[in-house]
Amino acid sequence: MSAAPLPGAGDPATIRTVKEVAELLNGMCVAGVIKDYALFGAAAQMRYTEAVATLDADVLVATATPGGLDPLAAIHAYGRDRGYAAEGEAMRVGAWPVQFIPVFSPLTEEAVDCAETADFEGVPFRVVGAVYLAVIALSVGRAKDFARVLGLMESGAATHADIGALAARHGLSDAWNRFVGRFLDDRA
Amino acid sequence: MTERERILRRQAEWQKSRQAVPWPEKIRQAERMRASIEAFRRMRTAHQPPVAPVLPHGEPTAKD
Repeated sequence: MSAAPLPGAGDPATIRTVKEVAELLNGMCVAGVIKDYALFGAAAQMRYTEAVATLDADVLVATATPGGLDPLAAIHAYGRDRGYAAEGEAMRVGAWPVQFIPVFSPLTEEAVDCAETADFEGVPFRVVGAVYLAVIALSVGRAKDFARVLGLMESGAATHADIGALAARHGLSDAWNRFVGRFLDDRA
Repeated sequence: MTERERILRRQAEWQKSRQAVPWPEKIRQAERMRASIEAFRRMRTAHQPPVAPVLPHGEPTAKD
């Protein structure tokens, strides 16, 4: 079986949309609305694994005014001024509802600091790396997050040792050990 | 190798090949999956019977 593109592949509208998300976020950094950002969640996972179903794009943001009453107000104002409508807590950019999540722990802060700059068809796009994606998923701990950890390990992008070390550094050794016992330890 | 093993091996190879697809193409695939999910949800909503009204003390009038 070959990896032939699915029908409709190469649809330029999607690429425009995702490029638009990257350009919007890069623009926010230049304007000082945010200090930094990194795509995470399913859209970031897909750099390493096969495509997965997702309803939105999740973006971790380091805001310019951390700890403020409404850390996302400046982001939404910036988007509104450029014609991007709010959709619940998200912002609609073309076909994608984009969820902005302020960094909420030392782990997510470090994930943004250490994010990789990927090239999305000519546009730089900050993306959380595989090991951080796995440990953030581990910390959230829903079934789909566990599936994400397994997917990242299976792809070879995140190793058992690297996840274990990062989890330990952020006080998640118990969660990691439970995960290993439940999903990876054949002796269990 | 049994026929079942051959099928499983082909499936594993196919999955690996999907993993090697460029990221922008996977994003396109995800967008098409999402469009399908949303279409299914709309269909399900359209075919759902009207929800039974809830009595003032919170007990529904009919079970689903």
